Amino acid sequence: MRASFVFSEVVNGLRRNVTMTIAMILTTAISVGLLGGGLLVVRLIDGIQSVYQDQAEVVVSMTNDVSSSDQSCSQQPCSQVKQQIQHASGVQQVRYQNRDEGFQQFNKLFQSQPELREVARPSAIPATLRVKVADQSKIPALQQQFQGKPGVDNVVNQAQFLQPMFDVLNGIRNATFSVALIQAMAALLLISNTIQLSAFTRRTETGIMRLVGASRWYTQLPFLLEAVVSGVIGAVLAIGGLLVSKVALIDKVMAPFSSTGGVPQLGYGDIGVVAPILLLVSVAISAITGYVTLRLYVRI
Amino acid sequence: MIRLEHVSKSYKTSTRPALDDVSVSVDRGEFVFLIGPSGSGKSTALRLLLREDVPSRGRVFVADWNVAKLPRRRVPQLRQRIGCVFQDFRLLNNKTVFENVAFALEVIGKPRHTIRKVVPEVLQLVGLEGKADRMPHELSGGEQQRVAIARAFVNRPLVLMCDEPTGNLDPDTSQDIMLLLERINRTGTTVVMATHDHSIVDSMRRRVVELSFGRVIRDDARGVYGVGR
Repeated sequence: MRASFVFSEVVNGLRRNVTMTIAMILTTAISVGLLGGGLLVVRLIDGIQSVYQDQAEVVVSMTNDVSSSDQSCSQQPCSQVKQQIQHASGVQQVRYQNRDEGFQQFNKLFQSQPELREVARPSAIPATLRVKVADQSKIPALQQQFQGKPGVDNVVNQAQFLQPMFDVLNGIRNATFSVALIQAMAALLLISNTIQLSAFTRRTETGIMRLVGASRWYTQLPFLLEAVVSGVIGAVLAIGGLLVSKVALIDKVMAPFSSTGGVPQLGYGDIGVVAPILLLVSVAISAITGYVTLRLYVRI
Repeated sequence: MIRLEHVSKSYKTSTRPALDDVSVSVDRGEFVFLIGPSGSGKSTALRLLLREDVPSRGRVFVADWNVAKLPRRRVPQLRQRIGCVFQDFRLLNNKTVFENVAFALEVIGKPRHTIRKVVPEVLQLVGLEGKADRMPHELSGGEQQRVAIARAFVNRPLVLMCDEPTGNLDPDTSQDIMLLLERINRTGTTVVMATHDHSIVDSMRRRVVELSFGRVIRDDARGVYGVGR
């Protein structure tokens, strides 16, 4: 096989149908870019989840009685509740935080809001049992078991406050994936169409190739490579687009959240991980579409 | 070299078979005219030899290949040994004479030094030396057909199949083309030529196989086109 011949055929083919080629590349780029966006959101979600799920605790607030009288959880009913929690399945560690310690933590948390600290009184802060859980799936059972026990006022799973944020992120991910899928369909049809057009404009050549006994591969490879080349260009554009939107958009929007360390920053590493996937997906889709089109529609 | 054994070919769209129990044998180095009116089955026969189609019944042999039984991936090998010339030349208009002929070798993966050697040789054979850099539209019809013949012959096929090669040419030019085909035939290449051209068939006095409604109605060793046609 002569590489230079195949190469020049590919370049000619792409040039001859330049408008279709551009449409094919752009559609592929948008589709692959959205897929990449979705994958980045997935990585962001994973990052946030690992940060918060390590820190999140189940907080068992004690009643006012217990809070005011028991400084070290050594009396009934607090000591019994603590013991039971310690023996519940999935529980890693239980720590008692009495009312004074709770008030100190409150003051620390709201350092920047003196007007809140102004009105807060220690008596408004309950003593709490802070439960670290090894297995997140055990939390609902735990909540059910201790809600309403004597001495227990309320059982709160901190992680559930994060749920709305995850819901939003999951929604963004699903939306980008859906649009990516629709765009991928358009890209698929465009690739198929372009190859058919390309084969049609070169039917004299391919007819002669067939007659003089060129192998099927020799005849079809240029068309297939045309699709793959535009797939690669599309993927490269998409990756470039992700880099630009990271610098120009995401970093700026996320700056207030990531500066506090609360939300992990989207790094170049993340794009580095996603980029090869995008390239692979793009090449695979264009190659498979090209191959199937040539087999089904183009007589060579 | 070529053998058709009780070959029939029917198309779904037609009630009458395009070929009906045709048996013909052509030896190596023969020159055969395939004549008959339009729709008599000439083109169908050529298509079967090239494995553009397979017969409904019967067997087709070219060289030692059982053409209809040839696996798909080996069809190119068959076609590399058969040269084809058509009425409409089928040249690539964006390539020069040289490139048109070289194309046939490039696409079967021949190395460049071979191409540089054999293309000028074959251009000389067909009488186009010095016109290698012309574009097809700069040539006369007869010259264009010579390019097509050069392209068909450049890989030294066993068989040269010509489908009405003089159909678009004036009588004098047609005569020149026939001389060229005769010269190629003298190199040992079998030539099968489908044609309507009375004067050519009559003047050449070669074997004539006549088809009518898909049947062989005549097979003369030194025939003429026929009286009263």
